[in-house]
Amino acid sequence: MATTAKEIKEFEEKQEWWWVAEKTRSSRLDYLRKAVWKKGALGGNYAPGIEIDLEFPELYTETWQENEGDPIMLRKAKSIGNVLENLPIFITDQSQIVGCVGSAPHNIVSYWQGASMINEEIYNEQGILPQPEEKSLERLAALNEYWGGNTALDELAKVLDPEDAVKFMSGAIGWGTPSSAVGYATKDFRHIGKGFENIIEEIDENMERTDKLLRGNPSPDLLPLYDKLPRWEAMQEVLDAAIEYAARYARLARIIAENFETDPKRKEELLRIAETCERVPAQPPRTLQESIQYDHFVQVVVRYETYEGAMPHRPDYLHGPFFDKDVNINKSITRDDALDLLGEHLIRTYEIGIFSPRWTREGLQGITGTWVWTMGGVNEDGTDACNDCTTAYMQVARLVRIANPTFSFRWHPKVKDELMREIFECIRHGLGYPSLRNDPILVENAMYWHGHPLREARQWVTQSCMSPCPPTKYGCQPFRMASATANCAKIVEYTLHNGYDNVVNMQMGPKTGNAVDFKTYDEFFEAWTKQMKWLLNILVRTVALGRAKDPEFFSRPILSAYYERAVETGTDAVDYTNGERGNAWVTAFTWVENADSLAAVKKLIYDDKKYTMAELIEALKNNWDGKEEMRLDFVNNAPKWGNDDDYVDDIMVQCLKTTAAHGKEIKCVCGNNIPILPENVSGNIHYANVVSALPNGRRLGDALYDGGISPGPGLDKKGPTAVLKSCGKIDHVLDGRAFLLNQRLSPTQLAGEKGYQLWKSYVKSWDDLGMDHVQFNMVDDSTLRAAQKDPEKYQEVIVRVAGYSAHFVDISRKTQDNIIQRTVQGLG
Amino acid sequence: MASCNECKSFFSLEDDDSMGDCVRRIVDPRQAYYQAKPVEADNDSSNCASFQKK
Amino acid sequence: MKCVACGFEGPVDKFRYLYNARIDASMSMRQCPKCNEWNAVDELKDEALEIVNPGDAPWGKSAGIEGISA
Repeated sequence: MATTAKEIKEFEEKQEWWWVAEKTRSSRLDYLRKAVWKKGALGGNYAPGIEIDLEFPELYTETWQENEGDPIMLRKAKSIGNVLENLPIFITDQSQIVGCVGSAPHNIVSYWQGASMINEEIYNEQGILPQPEEKSLERLAALNEYWGGNTALDELAKVLDPEDAVKFMSGAIGWGTPSSAVGYATKDFRHIGKGFENIIEEIDENMERTDKLLRGNPSPDLLPLYDKLPRWEAMQEVLDAAIEYAARYARLARIIAENFETDPKRKEELLRIAETCERVPAQPPRTLQESIQYDHFVQVVVRYETYEGAMPHRPDYLHGPFFDKDVNINKSITRDDALDLLGEHLIRTYEIGIFSPRWTREGLQGITGTWVWTMGGVNEDGTDACNDCTTAYMQVARLVRIANPTFSFRWHPKVKDELMREIFECIRHGLGYPSLRNDPILVENAMYWHGHPLREARQWVTQSCMSPCPPTKYGCQPFRMASATANCAKIVEYTLHNGYDNVVNMQMGPKTGNAVDFKTYDEFFEAWTKQMKWLLNILVRTVALGRAKDPEFFSRPILSAYYERAVETGTDAVDYTNGERGNAWVTAFTWVENADSLAAVKKLIYDDKKYTMAELIEALKNNWDGKEEMRLDFVNNAPKWGNDDDYVDDIMVQCLKTTAAHGKEIKCVCGNNIPILPENVSGNIHYANVVSALPNGRRLGDALYDGGISPGPGLDKKGPTAVLKSCGKIDHVLDGRAFLLNQRLSPTQLAGEKGYQLWKSYVKSWDDLGMDHVQFNMVDDSTLRAAQKDPEKYQEVIVRVAGYSAHFVDISRKTQDNIIQRTVQGLG
Repeated sequence: MASCNECKSFFSLEDDDSMGDCVRRIVDPRQAYYQAKPVEADNDSSNCASFQKK
Repeated sequence: MKCVACGFEGPVDKFRYLYNARIDASMSMRQCPKCNEWNAVDELKDEALEIVNPGDAPWGKSAGIEGISA
């Protein structure tokens, strides 16, 4: 029975936005949204029915084994080629955009060339093996036996300093894999947009020119050229395979249209799919459908090469001109048709599923990767880049309500009010996105830290959750954050325990002295500084070596073909000598605990002398057991970040400035600076059982604070303006690369026009204080508690976890409680 | 011995009739879709549960 | 301490510490070693107060205006 306008109004009044979405979206989007499989791990485990794809690694390994004598990039290109040409493909009913990573809709994939420890984890993972399980185990055993000891990470382990390797892999001080087997890379869309056939031609010309040189006068300059030829051949191989992969979809669409489909309208759609896939990615797109399909092929194909866990991307900028041409100028499609295409673009991206090891699943609960799409912003000349397609993406996001991809909106003073209202509607509907990024601040930041030229800095995309990167010839970043992710609460923990880690029971940091002997707070802070430098250094050192060795141990033929600088020079995209400017940062997980803990130590040990350092250390070693009154004293009677209190805010700024100074001393493989970037994804939950008790009052086991500069949940007691004022004391250009702030707002307070105006004036204060980021949760306690109690009824409730969103029912109970505990700020 | 090219699901390549796609309609718990799997025309299909003579 | 669900009695540290209900309150969640139920525990009194089921929030409303409107 059709839903009436009255019923929809009732859902709106009750703020049950998921019902509003279901009742108002097109029947196609409704089918496709419900059809897509949920591939993010649910609180750590995969949903029933999700299966690991074994055909993909078998096809890959078969060709890999046959081409042992080839240089690595060519060997890899042939292996990917075999996969793209022979892995089963599928087209879902009602779908208009095709392409998936995996041979069936419920499949997730993994990359056996990457890391033995991940391969072994798949063997032992319950519930994801295709039936019969016994047969799958045999197939897995064969794969693991072949790759065991020979993966990219196994090779890297052979060259790492053993002590660094043990500490890096302990799981205590940071996370990440120092290989592009697990990472993310910016895409050079201006180059890719030429069309794959044109890139192949460019490579042909480079090879011909080189070939001529090699037949000329001998010279030492000729020697490196010999290695370039097989790399170019590899790039051509994968581009050809990608064109063939698209042609296979065209063929399947025609077979369905001509042999199975009886509905003339669907037949027409299938023939359009066929024509689209015959055009792209071989040639540049001409229409909105071709542009989206091209973009999707680019993203899918590269995920047959490696686990790309993020999606640096600016889709409104890329597709905006086609949207405008088709919808507004030529009127070849209606706006509703366009919304169907954009909505399916979101759904098809959500469909990509990649196996994650357990530690990643805990740190990124509910999603496969942080597909954060960058929207809005400015053009190279500084004019407003927002367009009708930006608005349409905001509108369709509310209709399909998926948690991945999410949007990061590049706010600037020229953004029109109509678009701000669309953004606010997304937040009010509880999506948790878009996050707001302050464009002028981040452009300046990109120039300050990495020397990106102004016109390039203005093109920035979100490299993963937060860090901006220009997607330009020399700006593109091919390798994760090219540095590391640090569990920063360990800095203050090791300062207190002379570098010893009481959780993993080993000496990790340097012996900076027994904290009991520190006579002043300055001595304590000096030890903190040494621990901070040690932590950043060991992580950056390890990942930098992984980066340098990556072309030799892993290799990226597809990404290389996507990079103009790699095509031009015949190098691997990850090769740091091909002109890359450098855009590295260290992601600083669990950062704010340092400020609150240092403030507590300064106040209660050194200033008030209420407790001795020996008493504190004893209490911490016993996880505050039997010391509840003392623990509450450290929580409630020491200043806490986020209350506009200079005592603790000055400490926060001192920590950041000290770390920023070190960020100018340490260099990435390109020789550029490495600022920190405080944020957490759901690392605050993952590290809850890794970080021991701290002077801010937390015990081992308690969730850490959720944001990069968000106050502790419930500890920001003076309202949203005080939070902003504290965060505004940070220099968001000089003190780090970006700073994640989570805020929880009340959906009741922010209803209607009054709510929008309150939010808009909040955004103005945020900008006035020079902050670079803020994101909002706008779902009330009662809805979240009801969802905990009756998850089946609340499948579509979305929350902002950290740099990403997730369906509330897909995250662990502990993460759910952590979100509920966050302070609900009243505006105005 | 039955071979793939005798099956209703087999669609040979335009430029090479020794190869083709096995195209099948699949309905899983969430969605319906057509899947294409590359196969050789003379592939032995006597053990294929989905074999349907043309 | 005595488990509210099954009556098991033992010292508080025999109940596995899970996490705090909120950092600035003396309440935490601990798991009974016998029946595995989650008990809300007053850490100042070493006393189990109630069983915590999904959706229960023994710490009350969130801080901020959510708390004020309670």
